[in-house]
Amino acid sequence: MTSPSASSRKALSKIACNRLQKELVEWQVNPPTGFKHKVTDNLQRWVIEVNGAPGTLYAGETYQLQVDFPEHYPMEAPQVIFVPPAPLHPHIYSNGHICLDILYDSWSPAMTVSSICISILSMLSSSPVKQRPADNDRYVKNCKNGRSPKETRWWFHDDKV
Amino acid sequence: MESEDDMHDANEIASVEEEDDYYSGGEDEEEEDMDEEGEAGEDDYSYDYADEDDDDDTGDYDFIANYSDDGDDALASRSQKSFTILKEEDIEQRQEEDITKISTVLSIPREAACILLRRYNWSVNNVHEEWFANEEVVRKAVGLLEKPFVKLPNFKEVACGICFENYSCDSLRSAACAHLFCDACWKGRGSRIFSFRFPSFLGELKLCKRATNSYISTSINDGPGCLTLRCPDPSCGAAVGQDMIDMLASDEDRKKYRRYLLRSYVEDSRKIKWCPAPGCDSAVEYVVGSGSYDVSCSCSHSFCWNCIEEAHRPVDCETVAKWVMKNSAESENMNWILANSKPCPKCKRPIEKNQGCMHMTCTPPCKFEFCWLCLGAWSDHGERTGGFYACNRYEAAKQEGVYDEAERRREMAKNSLERYTHYYERWASNQSSRQKALADLQQMQSIHLEKLSEVQSQPESQLKFIIEAWQQIVECRRVLKWTYAYGYYLPEQEATKKKVFEYLQGEAEAGLERLHQCAEKELMNYLNSDGPSKDFNDFRTKLAGLTSVTRNYFENLVRALENGLSDVDSEAASINTTTSSKNAAGTSKGKSGRGKGSSKAGNTSVRNTADDSGNWTCDQCTYMNVSSAPTCHMCHQRR
Ligand SMILES: [Zn+2]
Ligand SMILES: [Zn+2]
Ligand SMILES: [Zn+2]
Ligand SMILES: [Zn+2]
Ligand SMILES: [Zn+2]
Ligand SMILES: [Zn+2]
Ligand SMILES: [Zn+2]
Repeated sequence: MTSPSASSRKALSKIACNRLQKELVEWQVNPPTGFKHKVTDNLQRWVIEVNGAPGTLYAGETYQLQVDFPEHYPMEAPQVIFVPPAPLHPHIYSNGHICLDILYDSWSPAMTVSSICISILSMLSSSPVKQRPADNDRYVKNCKNGRSPKETRWWFHDDKV
Repeated sequence: MESEDDMHDANEIASVEEEDDYYSGGEDEEEEDMDEEGEAGEDDYSYDYADEDDDDDTGDYDFIANYSDDGDDALASRSQKSFTILKEEDIEQRQEEDITKISTVLSIPREAACILLRRYNWSVNNVHEEWFANEEVVRKAVGLLEKPFVKLPNFKEVACGICFENYSCDSLRSAACAHLFCDACWKGRGSRIFSFRFPSFLGELKLCKRATNSYISTSINDGPGCLTLRCPDPSCGAAVGQDMIDMLASDEDRKKYRRYLLRSYVEDSRKIKWCPAPGCDSAVEYVVGSGSYDVSCSCSHSFCWNCIEEAHRPVDCETVAKWVMKNSAESENMNWILANSKPCPKCKRPIEKNQGCMHMTCTPPCKFEFCWLCLGAWSDHGERTGGFYACNRYEAAKQEGVYDEAERRREMAKNSLERYTHYYERWASNQSSRQKALADLQQMQSIHLEKLSEVQSQPESQLKFIIEAWQQIVECRRVLKWTYAYGYYLPEQEATKKKVFEYLQGEAEAGLERLHQCAEKELMNYLNSDGPSKDFNDFRTKLAGLTSVTRNYFENLVRALENGLSDVDSEAASINTTTSSKNAAGTSKGKSGRGKGSSKAGNTSVRNTADDSGNWTCDQCTYMNVSSAPTCHMCHQRR
């Protein structure tokens, strides 16, 4: 709660705490392949290491995901971004924002951090090309002052990647 | 959102339709017209450009004719109501009926019927069609499962799919799919209040959990998307219907959900739209294909059902959109025009327009009477010039140099702007006159009528003609306003049409001015008199007469303009080129139901001249008719 982007956020509700503790336990027992949770004592922000899957464009590369949980998690979606440098991908902006519907409109409280991670890895693995989204520069410029990707009105136009 | 309006019953719906539907309703009136026509007998001719000796071109054009044209087809189409006003409870009732219909026919629960109807924009027919074409596909698309596709677990304790806490099986709930979630996750922890004791210096912090932290309330508070709520399990599409909402949501959320459902019935329907007037909760259902889009809500707001702009007959939606765009583009140039004061053309003192009528009188001692629009002397206007009210005739005014008065205007306005200015100023003038007339109408109803009833010892029920006059003025101002947009877009090269149009518009303007003047200024005498006036009944006859005459004239004007003045081309041409063969031209058109044109020639011989030029004053409505007219332009009274 000392980080600037989290300072404006309210503390986790009791329900959110309970649920996250359970998720954490489950993660430790059964972590999603290719991910490593850097355990801290901050339950509200998880930092997760992502390893590109073997046989894909991202094999051997390592990135970091930062997951911030809102007060009413899991009713509200967590904020998930790559800590720059973010992987080169048609749906990932250079500031780490990810264009993925389940992080925004299609979030459901029955999803978990683990299921998000699996979606993100599958999105990476299926990319045929390493490049930034076409509107990267414009978007990143508009996102100055640390705007959250959850405030963006996303338009999920491409299901292939 | 429940308002007092809810108290009104369905009767009101009916009465409103009849009263406010100026051009499509009113069967009674229609019948009267027919009777009149019947009596007129052989005078039932089409076009009234009767005279033989006159080449005062447009002066003779008249569409009284359209009158006799209101044959059976017109009667039939006019007697149909093109719209229905729906109050909130009417909408609810219709929605409920539709839901019940679908639920009964498809043998599915009410909430399932509701989901289906919403999916197909509340069209009962579409639901039927889609459902019977392929029930499986439809079920899948909206998440209506016939049986759970998840087997209920056999364990006594199961983890809720959201909070992951263990619960005994029977305390969890699911949609039709059997994905189980606990009550707290479905509906929140309700009114439970968490109290935490903090060190005394922080005081006691009470966390009163309103149920925002639940699946259902989050969805409802996110907006109308809650109407398509599905099971929280991301792989599942099972619908969460209103039955579950009613069972699990808080009172407040249930209300919100119902509100969204009601709104959906209007907003997703192709036949119903909300009345756009601020604060009005009514909706208007329109019968597609029933002609004019102008509708009138019970709140008295009239609007175009198609484009939601204010009512704009006789111009079409496209022209309105163009005009509105044009206005916003020119609005900066227009600001100076709208300044609500002009110098008196005689004494140069600033005069503020505070009456709705265009006839201005400067304050004493000047007392100069002039026209607000052109600043010309009022004596140059209207019937005294033996012709028509000239103020709409921009070209003429320009040629005569009336515009010289506005040096500034000339300098800043290029020709096109000047032309636009002419039309805009008159459009806006009529708009504000209409606003003023609306306010006057209200004042009349709330204050003056009672006073008048007292002063003149007349029961208020006998004074309805005054209200009717004012309602007519309001409506006429609206029509007149839009005729200026019409005029602006009338192609320059259609010179004849333009002439005819300006003539008709001028007549309309003059007629309305007469009515306005009578209802505004003459009424004052009777309102301020010390006791009953002897001639009050004459006043009643005059005002009621003017009202009906003006109504007829405007109805005809609207129809003529809506037809694009389609009758003009050949006939107006004949006005210009021929003098004696006009009757032949009129009949040779061979319009069905109009073939009596030749019978009128006989009338022209029995004429009493009223002045040197042969113009005559109508006994019934006082209108000064040109010599050539065998019947009154305004009221059809025979000479
Ligand atoms: Zn739960
Ligand atoms: Zn389910
Ligand atoms: Zn209304
Ligand atoms: Zn329209
Ligand atoms: Zn003066
Ligand atoms: Zn004038
Ligand atoms: Zn008359």
